[in-house]
Amino acid sequence: MVGDFSVGKTSLTQKFVNNVFSDKYLTTIGVKIDTAIVADTKLIVWDVAGRDSLSPINASYLVGAAGVVLVCDGSRASTVSDLLDIWNTVTERIGVVPAVVALNKADLPEWNISDEMYAAFDKQSWDVFPTSAKEGDNVKEMFEKLVNKLSSQVV
Amino acid sequence: MNNTVDVIVQQKINEQLFQKLELAYFCVDHSMRVKDASDNLIDYGYEPIRPGSDIEDHIDFMIGLDSHTELDLPIVASPSGIPISVSLLPSENQLTVLIVNASTQADQRQLLQQKANENELLVFQQKKLMVQLEQASLELEKKNMQLEEASRLQTSFLSGVSHEFRTPLTSIIGYTNLVKQDLQKVSQELVPRIVGNDDSPNYLRAVQRSSKHLLSLVENLLDHGKLDSNEIVIRPKATNILEVFEDVELLLKPLSNTKQVELRANIDLPPKALAVLDDSRLRQCLINLVGNAVKFTDIGSVTLDASLTGEVLHVTVEDTGPGISQQDLEKIRLPFWQGSDTGKAGTGLGLTITERLVELMGGELLIKSELGKGTVVEFELPAPLVYLDEPANSLEGIPVKPLRILLAEDDTDIADLVCMMLIERGIEVDRVENGALAVEALKKGRYDLVLMDIHMPIMTGYDALAELNARGDTTPVVVMSASAVDADKAKAIELGCRGYLVKPVDVDDIIGMAGQVLS
Ligand SMILES: Nc1nc2c(ncn2[C@@H]2O[C@H](COP(=O)(O)OP(=O)(O)OP(=O)(O)O)[C@@H](O)[C@H]2O)c(=O)[nH]1
Ligand SMILES: [Mg+2]
Repeated sequence: MVGDFSVGKTSLTQKFVNNVFSDKYLTTIGVKIDTAIVADTKLIVWDVAGRDSLSPINASYLVGAAGVVLVCDGSRASTVSDLLDIWNTVTERIGVVPAVVALNKADLPEWNISDEMYAAFDKQSWDVFPTSAKEGDNVKEMFEKLVNKLSSQVV
Repeated sequence: MNNTVDVIVQQKINEQLFQKLELAYFCVDHSMRVKDASDNLIDYGYEPIRPGSDIEDHIDFMIGLDSHTELDLPIVASPSGIPISVSLLPSENQLTVLIVNASTQADQRQLLQQKANENELLVFQQKKLMVQLEQASLELEKKNMQLEEASRLQTSFLSGVSHEFRTPLTSIIGYTNLVKQDLQKVSQELVPRIVGNDDSPNYLRAVQRSSKHLLSLVENLLDHGKLDSNEIVIRPKATNILEVFEDVELLLKPLSNTKQVELRANIDLPPKALAVLDDSRLRQCLINLVGNAVKFTDIGSVTLDASLTGEVLHVTVEDTGPGISQQDLEKIRLPFWQGSDTGKAGTGLGLTITERLVELMGGELLIKSELGKGTVVEFELPAPLVYLDEPANSLEGIPVKPLRILLAEDDTDIADLVCMMLIERGIEVDRVENGALAVEALKKGRYDLVLMDIHMPIMTGYDALAELNARGDTTPVVVMSASAVDADKAKAIELGCRGYLVKPVDVDDIIGMAGQVLS
């Protein structure tokens, strides 16, 4: 799970793994590792500390990842465009891997993704999901899509 | 480690270091089979690991990692919740993984990062609010401009309409006067119903009263427009204030006579006192206030008090009418407000205008009222006293030979009227219907005075004035216009007119002005 700070990486993971959501913001330090079973696949989710003003994403935490979930906050435009930057960090360290995009906080009225951003995502051939960790919308679908991509890649 | 250090010391150091760092470890071969593992792994929430088992079955973070690559994971949340630091150290035939307690670093980091991120979110929210605020204020500005535009349009419409009304009203009022005078001459006995004697109602007086009332309504509309656009200017001049009040009393007496209302006037003013104030605006205020009081009082009395203390004029208008509720007192100053009694016709502008005029003249209008007990309106105005000779206001002292006036007026009704009125006073009048003809007439003949309308076909009064200036003609010109707009008056004066009369004019206005100009 990669993206800027406070975009909902932890919230999406917790919603998916434990079906819980909290409004309180507790920033993730380093990495927290969770496990989920999707169909017959064991998915190990590395919920990495977001990129913030103190530090970039520590690429060591990306080592060994089979795929990534790029998470942004649809109500903060800068987090959306930052995804392209973050994707560079990923590919520099582990190469091109299957990826899905969570345009999170879709439940907020301020949620708004510009056409330019959609076009940019299209170019990367990412699967894009407007998600809400709060309401649960598209959370399962997004993770299942990633697992799908991973297994079709292996075969 | 240094060879000179005893093995026993080395062991002790290791022990202490292990304890201090709470160091745990495990070793795997390159197919990820466990070779060795420390017992204290359970302190971090990991299950005991048997040698020979697959490490990926025991330790989640090892899944997907490579046994040949050196790697540092500075802070990882262990199953126990204790943050750990993990180091993968590969060698030729195994991979050693060291785990140490990283609580201290994690706690510090947590504090810092939480604060920094929350701050940044706050800044973001602030920026967003600022943008919203800016947008809101932009929208407000736009709305305001639209409102201003609407009000400007309304004002210019009102001014336009009321201006249009003046001309026909001038005719109506003037002719009614003439008819009345003529009839009075013919025979009072013959047509008493029309002319009336002083105490019986009559048709002509009703027509006169109504048209004057209509004129004052129109004037109020026009003034409202001008007040809105700050066009009204107060022109103080030496004024016999007693006369102003007596005029108002005379004017409004008939109004109260038609109802069961007694109009009392306690006018305590020195008969010859001249005060510097705008008499026509003061008159307008008094007519509005007393007129209102009479209008709204059905039974009882309306009292007009006026007195002078030093150089301050006090005016009080008190009525025994229905009074105004506290709630309505706030609304009463709004333009066009009519109150709940829609039976009393008017534009609802009188009080708004009066209040503004009193302010412009340096006073303040106070309204005290109680439902069922009547209303008191009062104001004070600065009234600096002067001592002047009587202003030349008549033709006395002007050479006795008959006065010759040239009248330039395109509206035939008004031209007829003015001619008749002037001829009746023994004045010779020639009339033309536009500026060009006026200029022609002045080339041929000599006149004591020109009475000039402004809006005329072929050549306007303005152009005629300019033409006369260019020709060096010095015949005094008095402009007679339906426009009470100050800008129009200023333009005429700039073009050298000697006097400016606003229609409707009566013969006394013309003669008074002629007296002033010619003396
Ligand atoms: N309304 C709404 N709020 C959300 C959603 N997802 C997360 N949040 C809130 O956003 C804040 C940040 O969520 P986290 O899941 O902690 O974000 P993160 O990406 O893990 O942040 P870091 O760990 O600091 O990088 C929290 O207050 C959440 O409650 C969502 O879908 N809708
Ligand atoms: Mg997090």
